[in-house]
Amino acid sequence: MEKKMGVYICTGCGIGDALDVEALAKVASGEFKAPVCKQHPFLCSPEGVAAIKADIDGDGVNAVVIAACSNRVMADVFNFGPDKLVERVNLREQVIWSHPANDEDTQMMAEDQLRMGCTKMNDMQPPEPFQGENLSKRILVVGGGITGITAAKEAAKAGYETVLVEKSDQLGGYMKNVFKLPPTQPPYDEIKETGLEAMVEELNGLSGAKVYTNAQVAKISGAPCMFDVEIQQNGNTATERVGAIVLATGSEPYDASKLTNYGYGSLPDVIAAPQLEAMFKSGSVTRPSNGETVGSAAFILCAGSRDPEHLPYCSAACCVESLKQAKYFKDENPSTPVYIFYKDIRANGNYELLYKQLQKDGVTFVRGTVTGIEDDGSGAMVVSAEDVLTGSPIMSESVDLVVLATGMVPTSALGEPYKAQAPKEGEEKAETPADTILVSNLLNLQYRQGPEVPGLKYGYPDSHFVCFPYESRRTGIYPAGSVRAPMDYGRCAVDAAGAALKAIQCVELTSQGKAVHPRAGDMSYPEFFMQRCTQCKRCTEECPFGAINEDEKGNPLPNPTRCRRCGVCMGACPERIISFKNYSVGMIGNVIKSINVPDEYDEKPRIVVLACENDAYPALDMAGIRRLSYNPWVRIIPVRCLGSMNLVWIADALSKGIDGILLLGCKHGDDYQCHFVKGSELANIRMTKVQETLNRLVLEADRVRLEQLSITDYTKLPELLDSFSERLAELGPNPYKGY
Amino acid sequence: MEPKVVSMEMRDYIAEMGAETINWCMQCGLCTNLCPWRQVPGETSEKFNIRHMQRLGQMGMEGFEEELILFACSTCGMCQENCPRGVKIINNVRSMRGSIVGAGMAPANLRPILGSAHANGNPWSGPRDKRTAWQEGLDVPAFGPDTEYFLFVCCHSCYDPRSTKVARSVAKVLKHAGVSFGVIGAEESCCGESMRKLGDEELFQKLAQSNIDLFNSKGVKKIITTSPHCLWTFKNEYPELGGEWEVIHYTDLLAQLLAEGKLSLPKGMAKKVAYHDPCYLGRHSKIYDAPRKLLEGLPDVQPVELNRNREMSLCCAGGGGRIWAEVPMGERFGELRITDAVENGAEMLTTACPYCLNMLTDACNSLNKQDQLEITELSELLADSIG
Repeated sequence: MEKKMGVYICTGCGIGDALDVEALAKVASGEFKAPVCKQHPFLCSPEGVAAIKADIDGDGVNAVVIAACSNRVMADVFNFGPDKLVERVNLREQVIWSHPANDEDTQMMAEDQLRMGCTKMNDMQPPEPFQGENLSKRILVVGGGITGITAAKEAAKAGYETVLVEKSDQLGGYMKNVFKLPPTQPPYDEIKETGLEAMVEELNGLSGAKVYTNAQVAKISGAPCMFDVEIQQNGNTATERVGAIVLATGSEPYDASKLTNYGYGSLPDVIAAPQLEAMFKSGSVTRPSNGETVGSAAFILCAGSRDPEHLPYCSAACCVESLKQAKYFKDENPSTPVYIFYKDIRANGNYELLYKQLQKDGVTFVRGTVTGIEDDGSGAMVVSAEDVLTGSPIMSESVDLVVLATGMVPTSALGEPYKAQAPKEGEEKAETPADTILVSNLLNLQYRQGPEVPGLKYGYPDSHFVCFPYESRRTGIYPAGSVRAPMDYGRCAVDAAGAALKAIQCVELTSQGKAVHPRAGDMSYPEFFMQRCTQCKRCTEECPFGAINEDEKGNPLPNPTRCRRCGVCMGACPERIISFKNYSVGMIGNVIKSINVPDEYDEKPRIVVLACENDAYPALDMAGIRRLSYNPWVRIIPVRCLGSMNLVWIADALSKGIDGILLLGCKHGDDYQCHFVKGSELANIRMTKVQETLNRLVLEADRVRLEQLSITDYTKLPELLDSFSERLAELGPNPYKGY
Repeated sequence: MEPKVVSMEMRDYIAEMGAETINWCMQCGLCTNLCPWRQVPGETSEKFNIRHMQRLGQMGMEGFEEELILFACSTCGMCQENCPRGVKIINNVRSMRGSIVGAGMAPANLRPILGSAHANGNPWSGPRDKRTAWQEGLDVPAFGPDTEYFLFVCCHSCYDPRSTKVARSVAKVLKHAGVSFGVIGAEESCCGESMRKLGDEELFQKLAQSNIDLFNSKGVKKIITTSPHCLWTFKNEYPELGGEWEVIHYTDLLAQLLAEGKLSLPKGMAKKVAYHDPCYLGRHSKIYDAPRKLLEGLPDVQPVELNRNREMSLCCAGGGGRIWAEVPMGERFGELRITDAVENGAEMLTTACPYCLNMLTDACNSLNKQDQLEITELSELLADSIG
């Protein structure tokens, strides 16, 4: 595209009072020969925007550089359509609000920021949306339990064709064996019918919903809007093309045979909760030992959950499930003695009213650790516990039945690791990382990184739920229900509706060639200059979203609709062959090179700050908004993710004479905050390689520093930036200055 | 430690005695933290934990029988008013006491009290024929068919020398206001409120039945009580036993008369006077304004509010049978009230309950603050005002 650059400097918000705007304008019109360079006292006003539009329409300006406020504000005001390039130079938050007015160094900072913006504009092309072939907006739902049925129903009712695959011969999943459900409507103190038949009937009555029972997903290849699904049903194979996938394969009850400490297996009348459910469903509740009716019962909650020996997490549904089962007994005979031994009763929301009702019904709640379940000599059992509430050991009266509220294990956590983990030296067994892909035979994805969705914790394929609900680490695949996180019936249904909406969002945006999440609407995507590829596989290995497949020779096969546009591949590539239309290794390299580096005798050091756009960059804005001040040596360059940082930038900066490079990224590790999951962690790993680069240049390793920063950490920024500057002062100027 | 054995039978027994809501308790412990015992040091404070006691009741487990624990609660209602589960905590306390006292195991110091109530119809070992001794020189009318109100004087004010002044004052003010009232006299029995709280259900039933039969036979329709305790049991416990009357506390009636201009309070008293809300008038009967209106109606009086007042009022420690408890100095709730009053600059602390009068007077003496703070009952101030 032939570019005609227009540079617009806003003098409002105090910019005009703090800076020599004429000198600034000379940078644009002089150094960068911008054909149009204008100032306006209120650029975001209708008049200001009209002035820019007049140049676009009348003067052919198509590359607009706005030197004003942060790009985090007024994005809609300064949007002139997809074919017009816009670059924002942040003079307000990151220059004049954080630095003294009418100061030589502040002015230099502003001029450098403008240079960097104009350089970026010179290297930028308008993104062209990726358009695949034979796009589908259908939604595949894997699993036909309450979650799957709800997801399929919701999507179909919203006008999207759905394909549901259920492995058994009937829909319903776990619900098929459930007698009744906990209350979902006022007054919330009575249990209710499951309503499963009506749900199935409704789904079957929807014209856009196709159901495969007795079926399994044998293979899924492709990418969002272009998934090809092989379904095996009764020995036949059907194929379906779909746009997005809801993973609703649910969970399995924890294996009670591992709970020998509660007498399971040795005492015949110790059973697991699903067995009791089946008894009530069948209408015959009897003691397994002798077939006699059950006259009293004790429930042991957290049986296997919240237990480091078994499931370390809370299974979320068992408290209410046990309350419900206790209610079965009390409804049948109010005088049946029922005990509930618990750690904490987690009966959230209106379930509290069910809990309250059961207290009123006279269920004996014992908070504490169960220490033993023993035969009382007559064939019944006594339960001993440490009762927290009296601070003493207690012993129950004899009970006929002990019910273990076993927790839930997601179906995604079953199966062997896709890639065997080699034990470390001195270890007998290798520790399996939390995000290891297991071969659990749910989706059978034809992805280079593995056939299923990676887990976050405990084998649940969740993403960062607080920030990104329903997301997995596979674009277009949305886990919902108890496969995503432990949850009960009601939450599964809500979760299913949410996942259906995410799937719809995915097919809609993808079909327009736009990114889905978190850069929703972004039309740029990584392009590979294959002639120079060395098949090193770093991009295919490191992509946090498994977007890139490989051919037999190891050449990357990108799938743009799986891509989240983070640029981790771009940062990984040693040959620098991966770039976006508006973001590339060369572009940021040139941006760094455009910085004016004064002579060492001027004692004006220069620091390049590569700031993650998601947290660090807004934190820098926040510092400005709060008028926190820091040294004027820093030159801030936003990056899509710290994971997109290519090591060549460090070499570029240091050989240019820049004194130090500060990388600001998100928190990584167990409770990571990286929007792209692995980006900041990968940047950290690459940092170790920086050492080599520095050695080659005969430079101190301290000249490069990586800091983890969250958006709320902005108060720490001045200290962080200034302590780095002080360290650089100790090291002295970069010896490459002036070369 | 040997495990304590859970007993559903014991739990059900306690529940049948009146602790119907004991299972509602979710053991959050708000009760324990609101309990006035947390405000004082000492052995009882350390041992008595109302949440724990209810837990034992809930599980039918032993451990609550110890006198210091079982009889510590003054039934002030602070916990019950604030219980998030609406547990009737006081009923639980009296039922648990009942399971012990009903089995003939009342603590030694309570036996003479309960015995006197059995024998004399009052817990103060006063002879029945002395019940009207307080009337001497007052010409108090006897209750008859034409009398509007029956004035029921609390046993405490019939027999306790300090407290009789309350009875005399109330009668004097009622006469002054032209209220048609009369007293039955020697045949009256203790209302039994405290006996029931102590767990002697049988005694309470006996006293109540005797009163109900007596009042009904005399044609009683309306009752004025001097004590909030009598008021509360007449209003809340007697109806289901057959005693249904219009019952009013004297402060409530007099405040109405004052507002209607039927009661004049001519003589003033230039003093800073603090009012202590009795638990059974305030929290239990929700009467907070009537006594304050009367106090404000006294010329020249400067009313002072205590830091803890109205719904948050701190118990004097005289309810629930605690009026008969021996409590070491430094552990008495009343002492906190005296300090509160003194710190707020009050010269007089007045109240509207004979038990409170008794407890606050003791506390004032134990703190040796008699010179700084005078303890009175509101009726006494009203009587002084009318001369």
